Amino acid sequence: MSIYIRNIVIIIVALMFCSDIMAQSTNIKGVIFDTKNNSLPGANIYIEGTYDGASSDANGKFSFTTNETGKHVLKVDYIGYESFRKEVELTGKEVYIEPNLNESFNQLNAVTIIAGVFEASETKKAVVLKSLDIVTTAGALGDISGALQTLPGTSTIGESGRLFVRGGHSGETQTYIDGTLVHEPYTTSAPNTAVRGRFNPFMFSGTVFSTGGYSAEYGQALSSVLLLRTNGLQQEDQLDISIMSIGTGVAGTKLWESGAVTASFDYMNLTPYMQLVPQNINWNKYPQSYNGAISVRQKTGKSGLLKTYITFDKSSFSLDQEDPDYLPGITNNNIDNQYLYFNTSWLGTLNDKWSLKTGVSTTGNLDNNGLGFGDYYGQLHGANAKIALANQISEKIKIRFGTEYFYKYSSVKYDNEPCSVHYLLNFTSNMIAVFTEADIYASNKFVTRLGGRYEYSDYLKKYNFAPRISAAYKIDDKSQFSLAYGLFFQDPANEYLIYTNRLDFERANHFILNYQTIKENRTFRAEVYYKDYFNLVKYRLTDHLVPTDHNNTGSAYAYGLDIFWRDRKTIRNGDYWISYSYIDTKRNFRDYPGEAIPGFVSKHNFSLVYKHWIGALRSQCGFTLKYSSPRCYNDPNRADFNSELMTPYRTLNVNWSFLYRQNVIIYASISNVTGFKQQYGYNYASFANDEGFYESVPVIPDAKRFYFIGCFITLTKSGEANQLDKLE
Amino acid sequence: MKKVVLLLAAVSFVFTSMADGPEFQQAMGKTLAGYADCKTIEDFQGLANKFERIVNAEKAEWLPLYYHAHCYIIMSFMEQSDMVKKDEYLDVAEISVNKMIEMVPDESEVYALQAFMLTARLVVDPMTRGQEYSILSGQATGTSLGLNPGNPRAKYLNISNEMGTAQFFGSDVSKYCVQAKELLENWDDFKPASPIHPAWGKDQVEEIVESCK
Repeated sequence: MSIYIRNIVIIIVALMFCSDIMAQSTNIKGVIFDTKNNSLPGANIYIEGTYDGASSDANGKFSFTTNETGKHVLKVDYIGYESFRKEVELTGKEVYIEPNLNESFNQLNAVTIIAGVFEASETKKAVVLKSLDIVTTAGALGDISGALQTLPGTSTIGESGRLFVRGGHSGETQTYIDGTLVHEPYTTSAPNTAVRGRFNPFMFSGTVFSTGGYSAEYGQALSSVLLLRTNGLQQEDQLDISIMSIGTGVAGTKLWESGAVTASFDYMNLTPYMQLVPQNINWNKYPQSYNGAISVRQKTGKSGLLKTYITFDKSSFSLDQEDPDYLPGITNNNIDNQYLYFNTSWLGTLNDKWSLKTGVSTTGNLDNNGLGFGDYYGQLHGANAKIALANQISEKIKIRFGTEYFYKYSSVKYDNEPCSVHYLLNFTSNMIAVFTEADIYASNKFVTRLGGRYEYSDYLKKYNFAPRISAAYKIDDKSQFSLAYGLFFQDPANEYLIYTNRLDFERANHFILNYQTIKENRTFRAEVYYKDYFNLVKYRLTDHLVPTDHNNTGSAYAYGLDIFWRDRKTIRNGDYWISYSYIDTKRNFRDYPGEAIPGFVSKHNFSLVYKHWIGALRSQCGFTLKYSSPRCYNDPNRADFNSELMTPYRTLNVNWSFLYRQNVIIYASISNVTGFKQQYGYNYASFANDEGFYESVPVIPDAKRFYFIGCFITLTKSGEANQLDKLE
Repeated sequence: MKKVVLLLAAVSFVFTSMADGPEFQQAMGKTLAGYADCKTIEDFQGLANKFERIVNAEKAEWLPLYYHAHCYIIMSFMEQSDMVKKDEYLDVAEISVNKMIEMVPDESEVYALQAFMLTARLVVDPMTRGQEYSILSGQATGTSLGLNPGNPRAKYLNISNEMGTAQFFGSDVSKYCVQAKELLENWDDFKPASPIHPAWGKDQVEEIVESCK
């Protein structure tokens, strides 16, 4: 018995002794720094596997006691930094640490190369533009290229409507949807009237507009690429109905567990509008168009997304234009356009390291212009297939490589029965390209991208190799520098290739330096660039005005400064951006007699876009003010080529959207509300008259102002969606 | 001797079960009491760190993750001007929410917290995110209520979100006042599974009812 008791006593004593050791406490103190010896407040310091620990205070200091003993790991965690670990022996003696934490590397938070790039997306991180900005800019009228023309680096060319970037012609900008090329992304218009983008901006959730220096993945563009990413899966079934002063549309989306289908139909008819509002154009048949589209999105596996999109457009109109060659005669244009576009793409990861992006697109475009004295037919068939692989070689190195194929058939047919003039010109081109690119991060602060692209055209029997290099350096949390250099090649325009294949690729070299700072909803960026063009196509016009002797002896240069400022902070509920571009450029191409400033360039371009939310009225009001300095045009009656100046371009556009109900939006806008005089030079006769004088006709917009009103209704089960993003 | 072994076994049993059960409960209880003292973002950062320490020590428990995310969501709401920072706090909360969805996919409270996080995302930039995130948040409260139709936090978030939208559009909010009042009256009918299970929200509903007067 006594042995029992003794034993128990020993055990109890032993236990007490043990717990005494446990109760022995150790004080742990220290200061947490980053590598530059700045103190880090809010770091979490603790003994691994226990609850014991503390947070660092405003000066990075901490202190806590623990009852643990023996060997343990002391750990420091801080968001954005690598954890610090130290083995410590807890004996009751004070432990003191003063670690310097290294910034952890994370590609998502690391610096990105933004030289030449304007991105609009819904991503959480601070981007310069949101997708919604594309469609809520006054005067853009729901046209993507219209909205982009408020950004620096672009020129507003009223008689064209297309994107002209940094001294480049509109043909030097290419549009890609989900990674594959789109031919003819603009609607067909009468000569010297503005076109619009064919694609509805609300189809896209991401837009990247690059004004130069872009990735080796994109070729066949001398100046600029516009990369559009279509929407992913919607969140719920919905039906959209639009009733507008110029037409009507309906779109429905049906979801299933892992996919969705959207079908839309639009009918536009400008007859009622144009009968009401005076027009500068003599319409015989007002513009009308039908558009139908179906898109299917389907998730595949854990990460894959398959997207398929098909759209068909048919539009027609007829008008009379004064023809300087037959004054006071007119030319009758009966225009009919049919367009079919198909795109399918798959994007997904293959495993931890590899991801695959692949897609195919085809475009068919048919233009028919009945000119009264003859019929003109233009036909274009294009296809692009691409496969690209990306591999995360290591945490800091990512490579991408891939190959693509381009097919193009273009034909021009002209029939003039009375004069028995018939001609047919066409060509077919096949091109293959391979590209590769590596992103190499030295740290969160510095990244270099090295890439190259090789192309071979079977029609030209020529190849090209385009090296590209770019880099970005983050100065601090808010500011960074980027630069980009590269060679860019493009096929000569189809209008030359139908005559001859004895041509080479046209080439441009870009050099871009960019500075950007984003601080609390204010963005400032400045970019300088220099562009050198080589091998531009030149030709001579015969006495019958047929181009001949095509060659690659043309050249050009452009340099300039682009400034962008956006402020969403200063004015409560207000948001504005200012763009200014300066450019100096000359080029010698086409049938230019020598180097001259081309007619599609304004030396100074200025835009101010303002948007204001008025809560009490449930309205967003906005305006866009634009000024472009006078452009040049050529008056053949003058000795100097391209020496005449147009009037400067000025416009003030206003818009107003009113949320009548959560799912009903009423939208109105007026373009050129103050009625600035807009004229784009003169259209001259091809031949001098009997007095040796070239007759001319002024080029003016189809109307002084454009008025728009529409009502957009969205029906869903929850009633929360609306078509806010469908607004202009 | 036999008895000594038994005794030792009993003692050690007491020790181990303390490490798993009461100690965890106690640490959680103590840390939860810390909410009362939090007034600034820094205070909540400190509290979030405490929960994170428990997360690291108790890999199988979802409740410390829950409060860790909850603290970061509150920090995002408290941050006044820096939009990037607001999103950074929510990025941290989102990681914890996603971990919980993997751990306890049938827990109603997790989706209620997810809805709270999505509402915070919306608040960062209501003009551009309003449409998308109100749908996402509504879907999360829907999932939460599907798993437990009585979850008062999911109900509260529904009322608060719909009321916010109605105020934005200048529509009548009296319907939501009635719902909030009813929710407040029945709030205590919902019994949390344990003293350390989520119980927050009553004060916020009281505020809504108060604002209706």
